[in-house]
Amino acid sequence: MTNDRGQAQVLRTEPGRQMLRRALVLAALFGVGLFALLLGRLAQLQIAEHDRFEQMALQQQLRQTPSSVSRGDIYDRNGRPLAVSASVENVYLSPAEIQANGEDPELIARGLSEILGLDYEEVLEKAGRTGSWYVTVARKLERETADQVRQFKNEYGLRGLRLETDSKRYYPNGSLACHLIGFVGLDNNGLEGIEARYDEELSGSAGKTVRATNAFGTQLLFWQYEDYYPGQDGLDLVTSIDTTIQYYVEKHLSQAVADYDIQNGAGAIAMDVNTGEILAMASLGNYDLNDFLAVDPEVLAQIEQAPEAEREGLLQEARARQWRNKALSDTYEPGSTFKIITLSMALEEGAVSLNDSFYCGGSVTVKGRTTPIRCWKTQGHGSQTLTQAVQHSCNAAFVNIGQRVGAETFYDYCEAFGFLNKTGDPDENLTATTGIDIAGESGSIWWSENTFCSPKNLSQLAAASFGQTFTITPLQLITAVSACVNGGKLMQPYVVRQLLRPDGSVAYEREPTVVRQVISAETSARVRSILEQVVGDPKDGTGRNAAVAGYRIGGKTGTSEKVSLEARTGQKQYIVSFVGFAPADAPRIAILCFLDTPSDASGVYVSGGQMAAPVVGAMMADILPYLGVEPDREKLSDVRVPDCLGLSLKEAALSLDEAGLRYRSIGDGDTVTDQLPPAGARIGAGTEIILYRGAEVSPELESMPALQNLSYEDARDLMAAYGLYLRSLSPVQPDGNQRIGSQSIPAGTLLRHGTVVTVSLLSTDQEMLGIY
Amino acid sequence: MRYDSARLTGFSVWDGKELRRSFDWDFFLLVLLLLVMGVVMVLSSSFPRAYYDPGKVTGGQAAYYFIRQLIFALLGLGAMLLASRLPMDFYRRCAPIFLLLTLGLLALVPFIGVRANGARRWLGVGGLTLQPSELAKLAVILSFAALICRYREKMHTLRYGILPFLGILGLIVGLLILEPHFSASIIILAIGGVMMFLGGVGVGWFLAALGGLGGGLLVLLTFFPYASSRISTWRDPFSSSSDEGYQIVQSLVSIGSGGLSGLGLGESRQKYLYLPEEHNDFIFSVACEELGFIGAALILTLFALLILRGYWIALHCSRRFDFLVVAGITTLLALQVFLNVAVVTNLLPCTGISLPFFSYGGTALLIQLGEMGIVLSASREILEA
Repeated sequence: MTNDRGQAQVLRTEPGRQMLRRALVLAALFGVGLFALLLGRLAQLQIAEHDRFEQMALQQQLRQTPSSVSRGDIYDRNGRPLAVSASVENVYLSPAEIQANGEDPELIARGLSEILGLDYEEVLEKAGRTGSWYVTVARKLERETADQVRQFKNEYGLRGLRLETDSKRYYPNGSLACHLIGFVGLDNNGLEGIEARYDEELSGSAGKTVRATNAFGTQLLFWQYEDYYPGQDGLDLVTSIDTTIQYYVEKHLSQAVADYDIQNGAGAIAMDVNTGEILAMASLGNYDLNDFLAVDPEVLAQIEQAPEAEREGLLQEARARQWRNKALSDTYEPGSTFKIITLSMALEEGAVSLNDSFYCGGSVTVKGRTTPIRCWKTQGHGSQTLTQAVQHSCNAAFVNIGQRVGAETFYDYCEAFGFLNKTGDPDENLTATTGIDIAGESGSIWWSENTFCSPKNLSQLAAASFGQTFTITPLQLITAVSACVNGGKLMQPYVVRQLLRPDGSVAYEREPTVVRQVISAETSARVRSILEQVVGDPKDGTGRNAAVAGYRIGGKTGTSEKVSLEARTGQKQYIVSFVGFAPADAPRIAILCFLDTPSDASGVYVSGGQMAAPVVGAMMADILPYLGVEPDREKLSDVRVPDCLGLSLKEAALSLDEAGLRYRSIGDGDTVTDQLPPAGARIGAGTEIILYRGAEVSPELESMPALQNLSYEDARDLMAAYGLYLRSLSPVQPDGNQRIGSQSIPAGTLLRHGTVVTVSLLSTDQEMLGIY
Repeated sequence: MRYDSARLTGFSVWDGKELRRSFDWDFFLLVLLLLVMGVVMVLSSSFPRAYYDPGKVTGGQAAYYFIRQLIFALLGLGAMLLASRLPMDFYRRCAPIFLLLTLGLLALVPFIGVRANGARRWLGVGGLTLQPSELAKLAVILSFAALICRYREKMHTLRYGILPFLGILGLIVGLLILEPHFSASIIILAIGGVMMFLGGVGVGWFLAALGGLGGGLLVLLTFFPYASSRISTWRDPFSSSSDEGYQIVQSLVSIGSGGLSGLGLGESRQKYLYLPEEHNDFIFSVACEELGFIGAALILTLFALLILRGYWIALHCSRRFDFLVVAGITTLLALQVFLNVAVVTNLLPCTGISLPFFSYGGTALLIQLGEMGIVLSASREILEA
């Protein structure tokens, strides 16, 4: 019974067929089906999409620490450093590690605020950002300060306080050539000038250390992976800049800014006419590259008067203004300096010849213009040769010359000279740049071909003939003028001559690039000869104030009114300019100087001839001897003082007479015991020198007198009376129509007896005062 | 009582078939193999977190989790062997009490449970924690098996085949929702369903239930933004890889970067605090990274073999209760493995399901090994051909 029941129970408790069937279904589903699905998914992730996920994994697991490489240096053409990099250090905190290591944030804040002069609260706040591994505290510390921080760190064993190397840019010459060189930002990225344009080459490629880290950014426990990829130091740049020439250019330009009370800045470019190399380029006011954020104290004082809210904006504006490279970024109507271009194309086309005569009645009517175009000389120049027309800077003659060339040819030459690039659309206003290798170049603006060449309206052509109604950059002008005088080749201007690898080998060498031959060598020679007479002819030449005694200089003046400004505001403002080149027979250097908005109050007549020409003359007087250009001794207006010591008075008198000098003597000894000025000094001919016979030279200092506006002879004699001496850079004309324009030493300076002061002379010919 | 006496005397013959006396060695060895691999993976995956100790738990001892898991693995082995010695009758008799006990514990959790991550799921007993939901899974299997045996002929009826079961499930799931603990609810509902399916409930009911579930899911997604954001994270985890999608993206990166052959045991990089829960719910991702597709496939194959062996044992059980319990436990194991791997590979939306024998968690491991012990106990009473 028991057995039966038990047996029955066991029988009945056997799993039913349905149960077994269903269990088989489950086994198929859970034991096979779902696992197949999972394996498929794993294959997809681990095999098919492996590369993608591996990339993602590496991206998050590997930290790259860039290792700094040295930024390339910038040198001038003679190997003098313009920009160099030095190693400095940054200090940063790792607040997460400060927290993890239980370091005292207050101790760190106290220490750093003491060493670095930082605000305690600020450092404390930074130390408290515990989610972060990198908070910068101070950048670009010099070695000494960094060492103090390191000592503090080691003293307390602070692991959350870190130092890293960085580099800092130094500009040994401060503000010299600041607009050319440019500067770098905090991250050593070039922001202006050459630094910006050649940033990639200078930067090199940063090296990196790749290491595996955990999600908190620290080293893994057992899996030490670290790989170092060496960087490539930046290339050094050798530029075409000549520090000495740059210095002379800036010196005379800033003197002009002061003398003429220039309102809106001034600029100058010195170019090697044969290669297109930039020797110097200045744009005043300058700023110190080592402290490029600082603005001029006067400007700053003005800004501080403004309401608080506006100051930051004004400051930014002032910075942008001081960083602006006017020679490259400003466009202007060149005015009469452009006549060189008109002349060159007219001669090349045979539209004019040296024997042609041009009549100027003071104005000329032009088809399409309601009012006649006036020449700067309202009573007219009368009948002139071509050379005279250029010497006179006669607008009427140049309107005529432009018309002889014809609008279409004129337009084609403007393209050939690099002022515009045709696009194929004759209704489009055109532009062009020189493509120079510095950041910030602007483009010209020209009338469209259809407007310019309209046969019904010749006014655009007429105005363009003497440099108006279009705008170009100063750089474009000097590049084109260089082509006019160098034998006719338009060169592409450039600044960087060589890129050098860190080992000194040459990575790249720039060759001068001829863009095109614009005019023939013969035409160019004629242009040079005419332009030399603009400067060299003391009677007719409007550029005579640029003349330097003993040197052959050619050039052209320019005075352009800011027409659009007058149309807008009714204000009359001028940009006066002069472009010169030397030596006139075989030019080596061209200099363009432009002064934006001189003040009437300076007492100098506002024109390129009176203001800009002497500046270029003064630059040439310094630069040409530096370049080793020999002056023509015959034409120098100064003489060398002979050595009279030990001579009898009679012998001395003979020697002085031979040299063209006068003398007076002090004392009653037999022989000359001393002389003023000393032997070898160069002073103006006819100067009275002092011979001492036993008497002593007074050791007292003399105050430099003001010479401006004195005649040359009066100034010379006034100086001699004080025992001071004068030397004129400008040729001294016998007619006496000259007065002292500028003196190398400001009035009131205390000088030793015998000091020689350099002056330049300005023509006082009232006939020649005018807007040209 | 011939059967019992046979078991007591140690040998017996039934219908020409001999009752086995020793447990199923294949099953046992598979469990042992997986357990060893699991403990090794706990060591490998957990030491960075234990060492860095961002959660201030381990005191920087790299072997912290490993040692605990090892102790529980040894205890669990003991529990498995003990469970394998207890007769299946014992489990049948205990089933109601076990169910009541579990329900009691579950009822306690919402009140005295240990809170973590915004839910109370654990009961703390002297430094140990226990998830009663783990017990509930076993309770459902045992009690349903017992009930199915009792109602064996009436399983197709609503009153006997559906309502009592739904009642128990409703009670358990209701308590779980209070915690809340959705992933456990889903598993318990699934395992309850599987038991009823095995017990003979009509297929129509399941179709109806699936339909209802689908509808409910739609409603949930439409009206609960939390749920729908989960779905969108699931469909495109990379678009939110820094917040909601972070965990799953890290998991996929771990798995995918392992490639075919893996980075080598112990060489995972993702476990260095990139991958959250790396020694827990996402331990399989670390295994994939270190052992590659080959290693992962091996682990899954071992699981598949274990599960198939479990069904094999079930199919060879001589008694309905044994069959149901073994099939239930096997299916539960399969479900957990599938859901875990499906979640870490983003086949399913992210939810917390641990991988049996691998995921860190002492009491869960203890219970899982105990369940394996029950299967082994049943395997002692099968009929050999």
